[in-house]
Amino acid sequence: MASMGSGPDHLFNLRNNFYLGAFQAAINNSEIPNLSQEDIVERDCLVHRSYIALGSYQLVINEIDEASATPLQAVKLLAMYLSSPEFKESSISSLKEWLADPTVGNNATIRLIAGTIFMHEEDYNEALKHTHSGGTMDLHALNVQIFIKMHRSDYAEKQLRVMQQVDEDHTLTQLASAWWNLAVGGSKIQEAYLIFQDFSEKYPMTSLILNGKAVCCMHMGNFEEAETLLLEALNKDAKDPETLANLVVCSLHVGKSSSRYLSQLKLSHPDHVLVKRAASAEDNFERALQSFA
Amino acid sequence: MLTKFETKSNRVKGLTFHPKRPWILASLHSGVIQLWDYRMGTLIDRFDEHEGPVRGVHFHNSQPLFVSGGDDYKIKVWNYKTHRCLFTLLGHLDYIRTVQFHHENPWIVSASDDQTIRIWNWQSRTCISVLTGHNHYVMCASFHPKEDLVVSASLDQTVRVWDIGSLRKKTVSPADDLMRFTQMNSDLFGGVDAIVKYVLEGHDRGVNWASFHPTLPLIVSGADDRQVKLWRMNETKAWEVDTLRGHMNNVSSVMFHAKQDIIVSNSEDKSIRVWDATKRTGIQTFRREHDRFWILAVHPEINLLAAGHDNGMIVFKLERERPAFALSGDSLFYAKDRFLRYYEYSTQKDSQVIPIRRPGTPSLNQSPRTLSYSPTENAVLICSDLDGGSYELYIIPKDSVGRSDVVQDAKRGTGGSAVFIARNRFAVLEKSTSQVLVKNLKNEVVKKSSLPIPTDAIFYAGTGNLLCRSEDKVVIFDLQQRLVLGELQTPFVRYVVWSNDMESVALLSKHTIIIASKKLVLQCTLHETIRVKSGAWDDNGVFIYTTLNHIKYCLPNGDSGIIRTLDVPIYITKVSGNTIFCLDRDGKNRAITINATEYVFKLALLRKKYDHVMSMIRNSQLCGQAMIAYLQQKGFPEVALHFVEDERIRFNLALESGNISVAVASATQINDKDLWYRLGVEALRQGNSGIVEFAYQQTKNFERLSFLYLITGNLDKLSKLMKIAEVKNNVMGQFHNALYLGDVKERVKILENAGHLPLAYITASVHGLNDIAERLATELGDNVPSLPEGKTPSLLMPPSPVMCGGDWPLLRVMRGIFEGGLESAGRGGAVDEEEDVEGDWGEELDMVDVDGMENRDIEALLNEEENDEEGGWGVLDDLELPPELDTPKASANARTSVFVTPTQGMPVSQIWSQKSSLAAEQAAAGSFDTAMRLLHRQLGIKNFAPLKSMFLDLYSGSHSYLRALSSSPVVPLAIERGWSESSSPNVRGPPALVFDFSQLEEKLKSGYKATTSGKFTEALRLFLSILHTIPLVVVESRREVDEVKELVTLVKEYVLGLKMELKRRETKDDPVRQQELAAYFTHCNLQAPHLRLALLSAMGVCYKAKNLATAYNFAKRLLETNPVESQAKMARQVVQAAERNMTDETKLNYDFRNPFVICGSTYVPIYRGQKDISCPYCTARFVPGQEGNICTVCDLAVIGADASGLLCSPSQVR
Repeated sequence: MASMGSGPDHLFNLRNNFYLGAFQAAINNSEIPNLSQEDIVERDCLVHRSYIALGSYQLVINEIDEASATPLQAVKLLAMYLSSPEFKESSISSLKEWLADPTVGNNATIRLIAGTIFMHEEDYNEALKHTHSGGTMDLHALNVQIFIKMHRSDYAEKQLRVMQQVDEDHTLTQLASAWWNLAVGGSKIQEAYLIFQDFSEKYPMTSLILNGKAVCCMHMGNFEEAETLLLEALNKDAKDPETLANLVVCSLHVGKSSSRYLSQLKLSHPDHVLVKRAASAEDNFERALQSFA
Repeated sequence: MLTKFETKSNRVKGLTFHPKRPWILASLHSGVIQLWDYRMGTLIDRFDEHEGPVRGVHFHNSQPLFVSGGDDYKIKVWNYKTHRCLFTLLGHLDYIRTVQFHHENPWIVSASDDQTIRIWNWQSRTCISVLTGHNHYVMCASFHPKEDLVVSASLDQTVRVWDIGSLRKKTVSPADDLMRFTQMNSDLFGGVDAIVKYVLEGHDRGVNWASFHPTLPLIVSGADDRQVKLWRMNETKAWEVDTLRGHMNNVSSVMFHAKQDIIVSNSEDKSIRVWDATKRTGIQTFRREHDRFWILAVHPEINLLAAGHDNGMIVFKLERERPAFALSGDSLFYAKDRFLRYYEYSTQKDSQVIPIRRPGTPSLNQSPRTLSYSPTENAVLICSDLDGGSYELYIIPKDSVGRSDVVQDAKRGTGGSAVFIARNRFAVLEKSTSQVLVKNLKNEVVKKSSLPIPTDAIFYAGTGNLLCRSEDKVVIFDLQQRLVLGELQTPFVRYVVWSNDMESVALLSKHTIIIASKKLVLQCTLHETIRVKSGAWDDNGVFIYTTLNHIKYCLPNGDSGIIRTLDVPIYITKVSGNTIFCLDRDGKNRAITINATEYVFKLALLRKKYDHVMSMIRNSQLCGQAMIAYLQQKGFPEVALHFVEDERIRFNLALESGNISVAVASATQINDKDLWYRLGVEALRQGNSGIVEFAYQQTKNFERLSFLYLITGNLDKLSKLMKIAEVKNNVMGQFHNALYLGDVKERVKILENAGHLPLAYITASVHGLNDIAERLATELGDNVPSLPEGKTPSLLMPPSPVMCGGDWPLLRVMRGIFEGGLESAGRGGAVDEEEDVEGDWGEELDMVDVDGMENRDIEALLNEEENDEEGGWGVLDDLELPPELDTPKASANARTSVFVTPTQGMPVSQIWSQKSSLAAEQAAAGSFDTAMRLLHRQLGIKNFAPLKSMFLDLYSGSHSYLRALSSSPVVPLAIERGWSESSSPNVRGPPALVFDFSQLEEKLKSGYKATTSGKFTEALRLFLSILHTIPLVVVESRREVDEVKELVTLVKEYVLGLKMELKRRETKDDPVRQQELAAYFTHCNLQAPHLRLALLSAMGVCYKAKNLATAYNFAKRLLETNPVESQAKMARQVVQAAERNMTDETKLNYDFRNPFVICGSTYVPIYRGQKDISCPYCTARFVPGQEGNICTVCDLAVIGADASGLLCSPSQVR
């Protein structure tokens, strides 16, 4: 299926920056002239989602008021949800309300946010209920991610095929292919690496791209190169949780001490998967020890 | 046809190429002969002495001569250098059709309407042979390029081949000729010098042209019957081979191509036709609207042809000669003949990759035009003009150097041009709609995009971007954003060359080079008078390019210059340092070394790298007026100064750069008044009064000197000057100086001497020199001037200057920066790299010194031993596990409208846990309980506390973390071990483990080192950590399993030994126990150097405790181990001492004659035959009483527990 290009795509750079993790660049370059009304809403969504990604939840909550468009309300909801555990329940209940409302329930952004939130809740069933039908590249990409988390790479592949048919060169399609390639492993790792390599040649380096490359290197057994890449990423963003987490893993493999990165991660992101895993492993160890006592 | 040059003139009847220079002679129907430079496109000269049309003209192949023949029956030989007709050969009785020099003899052959062919000697200026036989006009005659043959064509419908062998045999001295001339005249119609060899009949009308094949025995002829005929001959006969039909009117001229297997003919039907000489079919036809063609000429050396017609002539080539190529890192892919070839720059290796065209396909101008290569996919895209523009996509097979001749079935398509725009995407231009199709490697259209301007070619411009060319501009277009990134007005761009960093681009037009940034911001434009051919960027951002006859450079600021001249055009592919790699017109790779000094130097200046500039000045001989002028013009006179020998120029440059000292030196050398003057001016400007004074002195410029002394307050010199002035009789100067000095008496004296008595009187009286005034008044008598009344006079004294003598504060001159550069360069050169001193070594030595041991050699020995071992530990092999389905099949109703969430798949860690029976893999999978159970069963381990951190590390290290969509949960990914390029996806390998055997080896080395240097606590920690890691190490092969097991026992010995040694140090108050422990230590299985150290220490302890017999034993054992001299000496002393008194003061629990093992817990010997019990893991031995306790050596296993043995490799499980 060939998609015929029409006018210039004004939001291309903004979207790309957002997908590739250049959030500050996305925010900084969001003043784009000659946008249609629709584009403006999308632009605002992307900008606010960038703020969320940077952890500025309160800013998003304050800036979006009652009068804002529905997609923005959804973005605000995500900010609420992520801002503090105490808002989680209320966010979910209002989300469910919206989803039940036929006038807004079908809005792509709301569905995307719903998918994201339910994924955080590890309720994949509920997440997929709203996202499985797709409709936008974001939704398809989210589906790929959900299926990968569910260890159902076969389903992820199907979603990926849909994306490839819509636009094979779309940044999200490429990213999703990389995720899927990494998930299935084996020779596909190389393809994932090439995708991240392409990104690094085409766009300014972000810690997301560097992490992507590093993860590929780790999976190919090349921990030294992974370490170099991660240190570069650390230079870019010293607090990036994935960089720190992957550095912990990498350091272990190259026989270096990982404790500094680990404590850094524990301090800045106490609920990161790696931290959680480490904590649960400790309990697990004690429990296993008990059975021997 | 590629037209290179065109002229407008009267009808062109004769043409000849100069064999070396880019010149062509055209003889016109008007009688004029024009000399053109077809490269520059200029008329160089015209020769106008013939009356009436000139039909034949020919250059000599080595001398500056050409010959012409015209309708005035005259053959003229010209020297084109002197622009003179040297002489005229007369003899023909009618129009002369063609003239030609012989390639080696001083002969000219001419064909005439008088039905004869004549051969002339142009040295003797005589006719040496007349070839008769044709019975109509002879239209053409020419020598064979090698043999003694002449071919001629005549309107009598025949082509004749003449044998002139006998002519050559005869001497060709002028005297001979003269003699023979008379003789020849006598047998004018039966000459024996040249005989007709063959008469070729076949044309139905008059034949206009016939010519030989350059190498083969072939002749081609063209006639008024509109046919071209091909003839073949052998020693005895000649025959017609074939006829080429196609021309619609009289064929004027026909010849074989010098290099290709083709025939070219032209005709009065206004066309030029190209024929395949082997298949005898027409390949191409070029037509002109109104001009009948009359003559054709081929260049003897290069691929050029020329054709003359009614209104001028054209110089053209049939085919492009530029090989299509694509550069990728160290390699070059290029098309040559039918093959894609590969050239590696570093090794200069050239090899054939794949055939790209089937043999025997028509080839003219259909060879690849451009080539685009995708290194990751190893794919090549070849564009040609075939079918009005088409491309072929080849995937180079992995084992690429295919000798095979089988042409791969390429993926094809039509399109103006096609280039890779990403690893696996290429863009194809659809000219008609000005669209590009983006295709994948399967040749499927992925995307279509309309281009912002009407585009006739596309070029690569970075991933995802295209550089689109139209007639008068180029734009860079981002295909994804559909945005124009940059735009630039340019002449018609032919080639696009990106710099290595993709930051700059060079756009090559026919006569222009434009350098622009990656967003097409113009940086500079260069104009060339000669065609620009190719270019490449060097690593420093200098663009190196070629024109038809030069290699040139262009600096980032637009400065350009010639690097060297070229005999033949080349196509640069890459520049690396001062080597230029290029392809020549034969498609051969060449490496040309150039002298890059000039542009490197200029670049260094431009980038203000003065240290580099200075080192270049010191080391190389770049010089010449051009360089000096350049430096001066660019504002670097101080740099230019370094190159100049000529003093006058040096002086000028020195002044310009303010370098006074050099200027003084030069001025002294030259000693020219004008220079001194200019030096003085400059020195004054800078405030260097010493030099100013010197300069003034040199020029004897006393007035300036006086003033200088005045303002510098140098009164001594001022008075000296006054005396000089007096000597020189310079009254005015004297007076000035006196005035400056405030010396009134002197002034009066001067005035008096000069005869100005009234003035002298006034001066004297005003300044109160009354006696003198009176004297003067008397001399003046009545003429005493009256002084004004009521004014108080004062003596004018010059003020004393702020600074007396010496220089003033000097003006800062610009050489500052440069001198700085000079200094730093000097420093840089002076610093030598120092070898790193081995830090460990000294430290270890100190440590040992504390123990009183000398261990220099031990360390060395130990290192050797360790090095020997190094090769032994191989890299872990791939783990092959049977493929298993880890994901259930997709449910059947996935496609139905009702969406059913699939069940969750199995996490990889669960798969690991199910598949593995190795403790480490279980730990990595997070199944700690299973891991512990395994370790308990296999090794009897019960104390898991020391293993905790390793369990956790294994688990932590088993997953990487992938950030997918922002704000969504991160995706942990299981890292597998033993990845290879060919691993199949979706088949789970075992987990990657954070511990491996090589790490343990490293630790062992450090442990040994620590032991050697006496850091026992550290050593113990290391060895213990090895013991604790081994249960969680996985190796691949059986051999490695054995190595692991060996390592356990090896390390166990050290742990035991070191623990005893540490214990010994704690028990200082118990000398007996101390000796015992030292003694037991020597029975641990240690490396030889360590054993020696242990023996030395035990010997020392026992000796001090006066247990001489035991010490003697240790000394003896030590001597057996080949110790270093210092140790041996000590041992011998102990032996000597002990031999005198072989007793022991105290009784030790140590019987070295009786073999024993040591209890790992109580450190007592267990002699052979006594009962003992061992640790199931580390194999340490214990006295039976220890059974059931945790092993004190490894701190892991239960002593005496049942265990199945270490399982550390999947190979053990299989």
